[in-house]
Formats: sequence, C-alpha cells, structure tokens
Amino acid sequence: MEETLAIFIASTLRLGMPLMLAASGELVSERAGVLNLSLEGMMLTAAFFGALGSWATGNPYLGVACAIAASVVVSAAQAWLSVNLRANQLVVGIGFNILALGATTLLYRIIFGGLSREEIPGLPKLAVKGLSDLPFAGPAFFQQSVIVYAGLALIVLIWVVLNHTSFGLAVRAVGDEPRSADKAGIPVALTRWKAVLITGFMAGVAGAFISIADIHTFTENMTNGAGYLALAAVIFGGWNIGRTVAACLLFGAATALQFQLPAMGINVPTAFLLMLPYLLALLAVAGIVGRLEPPTSLTLPFQRGK
Amino acid sequence: MSDLALRLPDRRRLVGLAVPFVAVVGSMLVGLLLIAASGKSVPDAIEAFLDGAFGTSFAIGASINRAVALALVGLGFILAFRANLTNVGGEGQIAVGGIAATALGLWSPVADLPLGLAVLVPLLGGTLAGAFWGGIAGVMKVRFGTNEVISTLLLGFIALLMVYWCVQSTALLRQPQTSSATLPESLPVPGPVKLPGLTGDPESPLHIGLVICLVLALATAVVLQRSTFGLRLRAIGLNELAARRAGMPGGILLVVALALAGAFGGLAGAIMLQGEQYYLKTGFSSGYGFDGLVVGLLSRGSTLGVLAGALFFGFLRSGGISMEIMAGVPAALTLVIQGLIVIAVAGSVILVERLQGGR
Repeated sequence: MEETLAIFIASTLRLGMPLMLAASGELVSERAGVLNLSLEGMMLTAAFFGALGSWATGNPYLGVACAIAASVVVSAAQAWLSVNLRANQLVVGIGFNILALGATTLLYRIIFGGLSREEIPGLPKLAVKGLSDLPFAGPAFFQQSVIVYAGLALIVLIWVVLNHTSFGLAVRAVGDEPRSADKAGIPVALTRWKAVLITGFMAGVAGAFISIADIHTFTENMTNGAGYLALAAVIFGGWNIGRTVAACLLFGAATALQFQLPAMGINVPTAFLLMLPYLLALLAVAGIVGRLEPPTSLTLPFQRGK
Repeated sequence: MSDLALRLPDRRRLVGLAVPFVAVVGSMLVGLLLIAASGKSVPDAIEAFLDGAFGTSFAIGASINRAVALALVGLGFILAFRANLTNVGGEGQIAVGGIAATALGLWSPVADLPLGLAVLVPLLGGTLAGAFWGGIAGVMKVRFGTNEVISTLLLGFIALLMVYWCVQSTALLRQPQTSSATLPESLPVPGPVKLPGLTGDPESPLHIGLVICLVLALATAVVLQRSTFGLRLRAIGLNELAARRAGMPGGILLVVALALAGAFGGLAGAIMLQGEQYYLKTGFSSGYGFDGLVVGLLSRGSTLGVLAGALFFGFLRSGGISMEIMAGVPAALTLVIQGLIVIAVAGSVILVERLQGGR
C-alpha cells in the first residue's frame, strides 16, 4: 500500500509537471488577452528540438536550451500574428499545431530515420540530501531532475510577477481593458508580446521536460494533447495561478489513476478518467463549478482608435 | 447561385480569391523545397502524388469521398460562422455521428428495414447526434455566456474519448472478445447499412455521399443568400444586441446555428463510417474535423469555396499517402503544407482589408 501510494504521488507529479509549466506560462498570455491554442504545437516543437539538441551535442542542458529557443520562436510568430497582424488567434493556433505536428514528424523521419527510438542523453536526477528518503512523497518530490526544481521556481516567479509587480498589473490591464490601459500609457502591443514570449519560454521548458527529462527520446506527436490539457487547466483554474497549478495536479492525478486503479483491483473505465479533465473544464466554463470570468478581452485584438 | 457571384469579378473579389490561391501555391512550393532538401527525388514524389490522387478510378473515388467529409464539416462551419460563431468542434461532432451510426447500424431491426431505410436511419441518427453535440455548445453560450470556441473544443475531446470508451467496452460497441487478440473495434456494420456505390465500377469506392453533399451545399447556399434565416444569422453575427432589439429570437438563432454546424459534422461522421470505414475504432475521425474547419475558413463563407477547398484537401491527403508509400516522402509533408496555408490565410486578413480599400 505504501509503495502504491508512493508510485501514485510520483506519477501524479511526473504527469502534472509539463501541464503546470505550460499552463502557468499560458496563464500570463491569457491574462494579457492572447489565447494560444498553439500551446500544443509549442510544446511538441520544444520536445523535438530539445531531443535533437541533446542528441547532437551530447549535452542535455544544451538540449533544454534548444527546446526553449525553438518554442520561443514559435511564440514570437504567434505574437506577431495575434498582436500586430490581428489575425484570428484560434485559427492561427490551430494552424501552428498542424504545422508543428507535420514539421516535427517530417524532420524526425529525415534526421533520425524511420522509427528508430534512439535514446538521447537525459537529465540526471538530483536527490536532496535528507529529504529524498522521506516516506511516501520523498522520492517523488526530492529525487527529481534539475528541470523539475527549476520549473517549480519559475512557476513561483510567475506568481510573483503576475501579482506583485507593475508588469503583472500591466498584463492584467491590457487583458481586461486594453483601451483604458492604452490611455494610461501602458504599451498594449509590447506588453502582449512579452506575455506571449513568456508562454513560449514556459512551453519550451515543458516540452524539454517531456523529451529530455522524462521519456529520454522523441516520438511522433509525443505531447499527445498535453497542450490542450494545459489550456483546460487554465480554464478550470479560473485564470488564477494557484488554482491553475492545482488543476494541473488534479489532471495529472486523474491520468495517473488509470494505471493505479486496475492494480488495486478497482474497475473504473480508463476512458472516463482520461475524459475527466475535459469534463471538469467544461463544467467550469459553464459556471457549474463556481462562476469563472475569463479576462474581458481574451482573443480580442487591440487597435488604437477603433 | 446569386447574380452577385456571377457578375464579373471586381477588385475586391479578385483580392479575396488571390489570397487563398497565393497561400496554397506558396505552401506547395515550400513542400517541394522540403522534398528536395530531404534528398528525395522531386519528380518521383510528384508522380507518386498524382498517381495516388488521380491515377486510378479507386484513387479518384477515395479522394472525392474524403472531400465529401471535409466539405460537410466546412459547410457547417460557414453556417455557424455567418452568425459569428466559430465551431472548433468538428472533430468531436464527426465522432458522435460515427458512434450513433455504428450503434444504429449494428442494431438488427435497423439493418432489416426495407426501402433503403437501413442506410437512412443511421445517417439521420448520426446527424441528430452531431446536432445535439453542437447544440450543447449553443445552449451553454446562451445560458451561461460560455465562449463557443472553448466549449466546442472541450466537447471535441470528450467525444473523441467517448469513441475510445465505446470500442474498449464490450458492454458498449466493442466486438465480442473471442481471444486476447481481439482488437478494440466494433463489429463491421452489415451490408444493407453501407452506402451504395455511385458508379457501376466495382473498383471505385465513390458512394452516394457525394450526392448528399452536393444537395446540402446547394441548400446551404440558398439558405445563406436567399432566406430570412440566413439574413437573421448575419444580423446576429454583425450585432447581436441590435438584432435582438429588432425582435429577432437571438438565443434560439445561436443555438440553431451551432446545432446545424454540429449536424453537418455528425452527418460527415456517419457517411465516413457507412461509406468507407464500416467499423468504429479509436481515432476514426483522424483529423477530418480540423481539416474541415480549415476548408470552411479558406472559403471565406462561400459555398463554392468550401467545395473547392474540400476537393483540394481530399486530393492532397490521398496524394500525400501515396507519396509516402511510393516515393518515401513522409505524408507529414501534407500537414506542413496545410499548416502553412492556414497561418498565411489567417495572417493576411488585415492585408486583404487594406487592399480591398477597407471595410
């Protein structure tokens, strides 16, 4: 029982980690009024270029850097289209997801050739002395690769920036009332650009976690909807960072349960557990689980004087 | 169609047509460059593409069948888009349509129905299931103010997992498990439920779905351009408040618009199942919902545009598959081309407005 619980906690964290990273980044962007359906594509691009960089240089840390750089490039394109060209953010996002799936699959076949699942240099796990031996949660929390610790620190940093800095205030202002923000002298376009780039950065860390820290290889479409799940977590979390992170852990737990429950002899359809996050998010946007208000100008482009 | 469409193309229309054209041609050129860059022979790849898309009556039939599914989702998309509603849930609407058509098709009283009802009942069931699924998003929009993009997207994921659930559980639609090797799929629907072929050619898979699709395309064009309902959709899309003040039943219109979009998706799912796949399996909608959305978007609200776009993507898919088998160029290349087209068209909206002299 103790072992089962320890495994459950560890797999919840493992499955929840990329969601937390991506969702907290996406949260910044959505608070600024830009929705990135391309989150999935950013993560997939990052997972691929992370694996490629790690494989080519033999250094997993350079792999992480490649992952972040690739994802930030995608987010810059998304920002340019959403902010400057005032394109339909959803359509552009879907376009990027199709493109990312096609491009990573294509490059993977060309570079790695066929379906060889070559193992790439992964990140080592670091144990925190004294804490990693704690029962239940010890190994889960204190025996992780460095990217987990760095990622958790980044999430805390986002919380601080969003809630306790003038930049955070600007982000929320351009997401709710861009016209008033503009009149108050806040540069709407620049603020939105920065927010989307932060999303790209965090999606890059999330993608690197999946390919370099967790799976140690790249497989076609390896994010497999994690980006959409992260979007659902932002919605279910009511555009609040604490609740969003909690939602990611809940979604991670629901996914982890599909392996745990059968082992414990409990028969719940896997499909139901996989469906649960989307169902919860749907109930949340319907206002059935607490009333949620998205940022007022979410998905609406801003143009001065119109 | 309307006399407006038949008039000589003026500057605005030319610009409107030029953008998707440039996007398509440019993206395909990028595709050719990628083939060359990967060290494969470009002429071989083109030959394999053309062969897979148009080479045999089988290839042409299969491509047109693909186009039918894409066109139906695209038509639903432009109907809802007229009311300024973006239906992102085509994939899920196809999925529920497929589930309903399978369930009805495998139910023996339906398969025994006379006069072609064995074909019609599952088609209608799929359509209604899709309408219901789209309608949920409509009701959520009117009742709770939920953005339909978010709700249709989430409903889509739920529907895809419902397919997974149905084919995993023998209590639902999974075929009886006779051995551990039994695949998680439904039984194939019986012969009378399958869509009849359109040509006498036994080689060609082309089925009556094409006729259904063309009739519905005509109906959509008439509804959008000639009916009060079409006008009301446009009014509510342009200014909901004003339309309501003018006495239009705003809420009902929005629900109907999304339910109609869903109905088209559900019908597409039923046609895919009864026309070609015959049994339900995970991933049976295989991206047709998202491709159909792209078709709807590229058409800029024109019914003829939907048909043209659907044909293009239908042949692109078939050719891409053949290119992978015969020339060793990954079919993922067609995804790259599609993604580039979507981004280019969506990104050029301001440019188009500027060239058309503003609106």
